[in-house]
Amino acid sequence: MSERPDRFGVDEIAERAEKAFAEAADLEVLEEARVRFIGRKGEITTLLRSIGSLPDEERPAFGDLVNDLRERILGLYERRKGALSDGAAEEDYFSGDPTLPGRRALSGGRHVLHQVLRDIKRIFFGMGYSLAEGPDVELDYYNFEALNFPADHPSRDTQDTFYINRDILLRTQTSPVQVRYMEKHKPPLRIIVPGRVYRNEAPDPSHASEFLQMEGLYVDRNVSLADLRNDVTYFVRAFFGSDAKVRFRPHFFPFTEPSAEADMSCFACRGSGCPICGKTGWIEIMGAGMVHPHVFRNAGYDPDAYTGFAFGLGLDRIAMLKYGIDDIRRLLSNDLRFLRQFWAETAGEVFE
Amino acid sequence: MKISLTWLKRYVPIEEDAATLARDLTMFGVNVEGIESLAPPFTGVVLGRVLEVKKHPGADRLSLCTVDAGGARPLGIVCGAPNVAAGMRVAVAVEGAVLAGGLRIKKSKIRGVVSEGMICSESELGLSENHSGIMSLDFDGKPGVSLEGKLGQSEYVFDLEVTPNRPDLLCHFGIAREIAALYRRKLVLPDRFELGAGGDFNLRIESGADCPRYTAAFVDDVIVAPSPAWMQNLLKSVGLGAINNIVDATNFVLMELGQPLHAFDRDTLAKDTIVVRRAKKGEKIVTLDGVERELDPGMLVIADDARPIAVAGVMGGRDTEVKAETKRLVIESAMFDPRLVRDARQRLKLETEASYRFEREADSGIMMDAAARACRLIQEMGAGTPSPACAESIHDPRSLERRTVSLRVSHANRVMGTELAGDDIAALLDRLELPSRSYGETVHVSIPTFRRDILEEIDLVEEAARVYGYENIGRDESARCSIFSEVPAEDLRKSSLVDFLVSRGFAEVVTSSFMDPADAGRMGWDGRDERAGPLRVANPLTEAQSALRTSLIPGLLGVVRRNTRAEQEEIRIFELGKVFLPGPERAGLPREELHIGALFARHATPLEWMAPRRQSDFFDMKGELEALLDRLGLLEEVKMMKPHDGKGQIFQWLLGGAVLAEGGLIAKGVSEGFDVDSPIFYFDLRLDELPPAGGGWPRFEAMSQYPAVKRDLCIVVADRVRYAEVRNIIMQQAQYLDSIRVFDYYRGGHLGEGKRSYTFRLSFRSSENTLDSIAVDREVHRIVGALQRELGAALRTE
Repeated sequence: MSERPDRFGVDEIAERAEKAFAEAADLEVLEEARVRFIGRKGEITTLLRSIGSLPDEERPAFGDLVNDLRERILGLYERRKGALSDGAAEEDYFSGDPTLPGRRALSGGRHVLHQVLRDIKRIFFGMGYSLAEGPDVELDYYNFEALNFPADHPSRDTQDTFYINRDILLRTQTSPVQVRYMEKHKPPLRIIVPGRVYRNEAPDPSHASEFLQMEGLYVDRNVSLADLRNDVTYFVRAFFGSDAKVRFRPHFFPFTEPSAEADMSCFACRGSGCPICGKTGWIEIMGAGMVHPHVFRNAGYDPDAYTGFAFGLGLDRIAMLKYGIDDIRRLLSNDLRFLRQFWAETAGEVFE
Repeated sequence: MKISLTWLKRYVPIEEDAATLARDLTMFGVNVEGIESLAPPFTGVVLGRVLEVKKHPGADRLSLCTVDAGGARPLGIVCGAPNVAAGMRVAVAVEGAVLAGGLRIKKSKIRGVVSEGMICSESELGLSENHSGIMSLDFDGKPGVSLEGKLGQSEYVFDLEVTPNRPDLLCHFGIAREIAALYRRKLVLPDRFELGAGGDFNLRIESGADCPRYTAAFVDDVIVAPSPAWMQNLLKSVGLGAINNIVDATNFVLMELGQPLHAFDRDTLAKDTIVVRRAKKGEKIVTLDGVERELDPGMLVIADDARPIAVAGVMGGRDTEVKAETKRLVIESAMFDPRLVRDARQRLKLETEASYRFEREADSGIMMDAAARACRLIQEMGAGTPSPACAESIHDPRSLERRTVSLRVSHANRVMGTELAGDDIAALLDRLELPSRSYGETVHVSIPTFRRDILEEIDLVEEAARVYGYENIGRDESARCSIFSEVPAEDLRKSSLVDFLVSRGFAEVVTSSFMDPADAGRMGWDGRDERAGPLRVANPLTEAQSALRTSLIPGLLGVVRRNTRAEQEEIRIFELGKVFLPGPERAGLPREELHIGALFARHATPLEWMAPRRQSDFFDMKGELEALLDRLGLLEEVKMMKPHDGKGQIFQWLLGGAVLAEGGLIAKGVSEGFDVDSPIFYFDLRLDELPPAGGGWPRFEAMSQYPAVKRDLCIVVADRVRYAEVRNIIMQQAQYLDSIRVFDYYRGGHLGEGKRSYTFRLSFRSSENTLDSIAVDREVHRIVGALQRELGAALRTE
């Protein structure tokens, strides 16, 4: 048939019918289309009536042709009807409106500080550091004296302290765990020490009276300042991105010597200077240095046999930097609207 | 501490701009925290050209100048400078200008001739001390252009962070010394008056330990007046007010050399005597700030024959201060026991520039030099005639000697990670004015008195590393990993419990370690409850933060309050943190326990269209606690109990004999006390009561491959019977029980008074074969029989 010209427009009718059925979005519209093509007053009936104008010898063939067409269109109609009916049954699954919101249980999330801590721990565990912890309520001895802060010395003024009594205080740093740990373990050792620390200062946007700190300590026979720079650089790049740069500035801490403060290149401006880094291109991230021989002696180590490094970083500050948090006090505010902002899957990713 | 760039240039040449110098100093270990740019100390000064110079008709030394200062007509200005000449380009202060020191320029008659302004010297503009003649400018530009910001260098002030080990850096000369080392430049020492010991004066030091050195210098013919503009400008730039030439000179030396000085009006001293002694009990002094202060024998004072005249190292007294009519001075330059100064400062709550430096230990070698420097300044200003002989007391002359500290080259390299030779290290230290000599493996260094912080080898290693440059110490990019990481199993368990709670829809919060002591009462803990007696902080910030928390719950209630105010409708929070119980632990430290506290407040479910919304209830709490216990593998081992004191809404979960957790409804009164809406449910789990973590990895067990047979069982019992009893009997009796769920619970109603029913779905399964209905029937029959026998239960058929 396709070889012959479509003398009576049969194929054209079939095509139009198929299109009309396909466009019918529901059974009602489909029914209208069916009536239009194969209803009692439809196009097929009209076409069949034209049989009278044909010579007699062509009439049987024409009759067959039209019947075939009716069958073809009926088939198209049934198929489309089936499809639409299934759809109607499926509608029951979504109560007639699939755009209604789905059922959701409550979502939870880690606190942003603990998320930062977890990410940092993973990096250091991967580098071979182990975990150690110590008490928040600490002896003056471990917090100050063993760390080479003499009594009544101005170096203590740099850390305003909460006291319980003359000998007991709230630790101002995680460093006391250095001596506690060394008293019980022999080198080589490589630990990180996260924990809460306390400072007796009136809170403001950049100072809190309690915050989270993490200490690192590595002691072995030949640990050097160069090793310290390696580890700190590795950490900064793993946490902030592989193009971060690190620089060390000389500084003073009673329990390390040589001492340094480590800066990293500003992740926001990449070192060109912006408000985040105070236009310097650098952001201070930690204090560090080589363990002071007095500290080794206090822990019962021979300072001629061992060398080591220590570093300490404030996790609140790291979280503030990483997520652009404007006020340290928000971290303990626990406003759920604040906490939820850091539950995103991307929160732990490295900035590239 | 503030340091002026202009001031620094008095002692060391600096070509670098302020930003470069700041960066280099920072990398050298002197942290510049900020740079402030100060406006030049004059306004209304313009460029002028001298057109003509004539002699003043009434005074030989004065000239009458015609100056083009950009106005419609030239100005007539009287000038006293010998170097003024026609054609010179000069700085002209026109009418209305304000010069350094505050002088305002007006049109005025000088010896009968009107002067319409002033041609300025460097001194008048506060640019230097040079007032020998007017400035000749090689400055391009039209007459009349403003010279503000264009003359000399505008002033920069650095805000430095000086660490407590380096008191020698608390002055301009000290910083100049670092700059000289940094850039390898030569230091210029400030001029000093020739001062020697042997002055005749009644000076008595009661204890050489309290006051190891005391120098008293003397100045006569004093004329008290304002100090010159250059000095005032420098002092102002670092935040000190100008007072008078004498006080300003002592303050200048303080900021220049770091040694605090004090000038007494000698004529006010009783019997012309100075005694350094402990204060007597009840003795009083009115200090310079006008406050009367009571002293005690813990404090060191400077006294005359009758009374204290200064609190040693802290502040002078008002009675003996320098006044307009002062004619003779005693200038004190001393050293005191830093602990006494610190103690007095703390107890008098009086921190001064002097106390700050004395506490950090002044340079024991500088007393005489500092006094000589002040004398020189006073002499230069024409403010008095210093006496060449001072009175001096030195407790221990050996304290003035240089010490020698040695360094092992190999050890220094080991610490730094370098391969420097002994000579290299000696050269590095030499730059810091630490004269060093290398003898092979050892470097001997002679330590000057101003470096009291260098006591041993490691101190020298740090100085060498600093001058060598931390940035030059090699960095091997591959991090070593020589020690295997060991993470305590407890920490891993903690972390996975947090993850689990988070997956259950909890928000983790972090609250303060502090607690309001009044919270113990608000929580309703009675005196026998150890949580009621928290550890107190001796010096708290506020009363509400004056104790250490004995429970996480009060802090969590605060979080609920905050979030209720923030209109958060579903509150399901937890904290994993320490509490502090004052029970006995070694060395007097409290017991630090790790807890998980969880709160359930407001709605348990989000507002949704498909089901009515539900308030958080007891079973939300219990379900989550059970889920947690199940994770820990303890669900079947823990026993829920009502505590003996019988508070109805609270339960305990015991493991072995110990309380592992408590939980229930926060009593209404407690909620009200914390200003939160009831009901709130909570649990509080003591992590320290858990069995040791890391009990081993779970072992795989094969699952049954045979089908399960399910039976629903509706049991009616008396109202006093509890679900747990019913369940226990079913568990005991069943042989093939695979799972047990209760899915309906009903009380009273059509069951009749005093009855309740539980409907169970029991699932039976064997690991050996398919159970037939006969076996299951037998199983159910046995269960029902036991329930009837032991609990008087009846089986209800639908």
